[in-house]
Amino acid sequence: MKFDTPKFMPGGDHFILVQFGDDASIDLNFMALGLTAAIKAEEVTGVVDTNPSYNSLVVEYESDDISYADLQTELAHLIDGLGSVENLELDSRLAYLPVVYLDPWTRDCVADYSEKIAPREYDPDFVADVNGFEDAKQLARIHSGTEHWVVAVCSTPGLPLMRALDPRCAITSPKYNPPRTWTTLGAIGVGGLSSSIYTTPGPGGYNLIGRTPVPLWDPRQRHPVFKDRVVLLDAADRVKFVPISEEEFEYTEARVADGSYEFNITAYQRFSVGAYKKWVSSLNQDGQF
Amino acid sequence: MALSVEVIKAGLETSVQDFPGRYGFWEQGFPPSGPFDMWSFRLANVLVGNGPEAAGLECQFMGPTLRFSEDCVVAFTGAEMNPTLDGEAFPMWESVAVTAGQVLACGFARVGARAYLAISGGIDVPTVLGARATFHMAGVGGMEGHALKDGQSLNVGAGAGAGAGVPGRRVKQDCRPAISDNKEWQIEVVQGPNDDWIADDGIERFLTSEWKLQARSNRTGYRLEGPDWIFADKASAKGPEHGEHPSNILDHGYPVGSINLCGQTPIILVNDAPSAGGFINPFTVPSAAFWKLAQSKPNDIYRFRRVSVDEAQELRRSIDRLCAVESIA
Repeated sequence: MKFDTPKFMPGGDHFILVQFGDDASIDLNFMALGLTAAIKAEEVTGVVDTNPSYNSLVVEYESDDISYADLQTELAHLIDGLGSVENLELDSRLAYLPVVYLDPWTRDCVADYSEKIAPREYDPDFVADVNGFEDAKQLARIHSGTEHWVVAVCSTPGLPLMRALDPRCAITSPKYNPPRTWTTLGAIGVGGLSSSIYTTPGPGGYNLIGRTPVPLWDPRQRHPVFKDRVVLLDAADRVKFVPISEEEFEYTEARVADGSYEFNITAYQRFSVGAYKKWVSSLNQDGQF
Repeated sequence: MALSVEVIKAGLETSVQDFPGRYGFWEQGFPPSGPFDMWSFRLANVLVGNGPEAAGLECQFMGPTLRFSEDCVVAFTGAEMNPTLDGEAFPMWESVAVTAGQVLACGFARVGARAYLAISGGIDVPTVLGARATFHMAGVGGMEGHALKDGQSLNVGAGAGAGAGVPGRRVKQDCRPAISDNKEWQIEVVQGPNDDWIADDGIERFLTSEWKLQARSNRTGYRLEGPDWIFADKASAKGPEHGEHPSNILDHGYPVGSINLCGQTPIILVNDAPSAGGFINPFTVPSAAFWKLAQSKPNDIYRFRRVSVDEAQELRRSIDRLCAVESIA
């Protein structure tokens, strides 16, 4: 539910949490990202950083430059200026990312977990089953059949938290409990309402369904795509997964390594929330890929 | 010849850090990193005459053994690790002239947990996203992205905030953090952001109980052991998107310092913590209390004292004022 007026809550001495509602309606994330854009456009005094998520935004501030009360007033003013969610237009690039679905590497990850931590069905079969899909292949068709909205880049460097923009491609699944202790780099996972890509080979709780050979961040900024930035994606970008074979994975991986890989990111569109919502309302939502 | 520091023994997770760390990249998934006890770290730079942005070393529990290739000025602050220079006791909280070839050695932390070493000139490692601070979990910043290793050589002298070196300075006793070995700490907390998920008697219980610091604690998170939490009705009567356990919430951003409740285990998210996740944060430790976390050891006992946002900010300002040349005797 969207709150009539956003809630403001303190996080210690230099953070404020702005919450737009208490559920996972995508409109609430659009509002959080609209506010993020407004804060940057207005260059609000004292704001150091923003950290959006599903229905909220954490703002970090320098309290020598702005007080908590003044920041709250300023943010409330910016939110008023956003108007209704349908009015929002957000800068949004579209990134095409190659992925091997049902790949051998994440299959090994799941097998390793089954052996060492807790017995477990192959993740894509499990996710297909809980979503009522025919099989893991349909899961891959559905996952690659939509643009995925980058809700936030968070948790570890460059990690995109994404959700399907096409409601016909929504996938929900329970996360691992207990979590994995290790996940292969580039693994594509689904958990809760989200999809994500593992940007560090660490622990994790999402169900693994594929793997991309493309790096999502590079602190050494070697490739031109990282010339002015360290991470590939920003919140409000979109990702389209392009299914490839294992052979193409290895080919792409080699091109990434030698620097000749061309990233496929388009930057000529803006995302109109009003147009998106109109399109969604026109869909036959029972249709499946 | 340029000054370098040879790492004879690296110690336990000794890392290059700078103040204030990697700020402004939370929205790309980068934590601030930086020195955990910024108060002690900043005073070390003041002592040797460096600017505040100069990089130094954070030593944890067991410090390093280092050899200096040229004459320089060095200061040790924070935890008492029985440092020696060529076998002679090396004074803490003082700037000391070191001559070429001398060896500075540390032992285990006797009082406190983290010591800070500043060298005139500052440690020169490449900046990543504007900072030299090490974020070892992602291999970013510092010495090749990680803690020091035996046999490495640190370049010194051309770094940011390089000072020429001023020996014989000492930090006044009342300008230092009161690092003690009595194992009990009073830690300030600001209530929120998710305090409404905890029942009133749960808030009271948190503030009146003792919390023991668990051994599985590091620069990512500080795990605490204590009584069970009492959740508000809201924590159970919520949509399925929030998850099953009362401590679960739909993924949201985490303030640095938030007390992140995972099931019944509170974890204080500190310098290298993740920026987001799916657990509630009923309280937040303000930046002014971080030095106490940094200097406590496993099994130490915390009691929390609630302060307002304004009080927390004023405490931070009072520490800032002490991190200045006026604190030098």
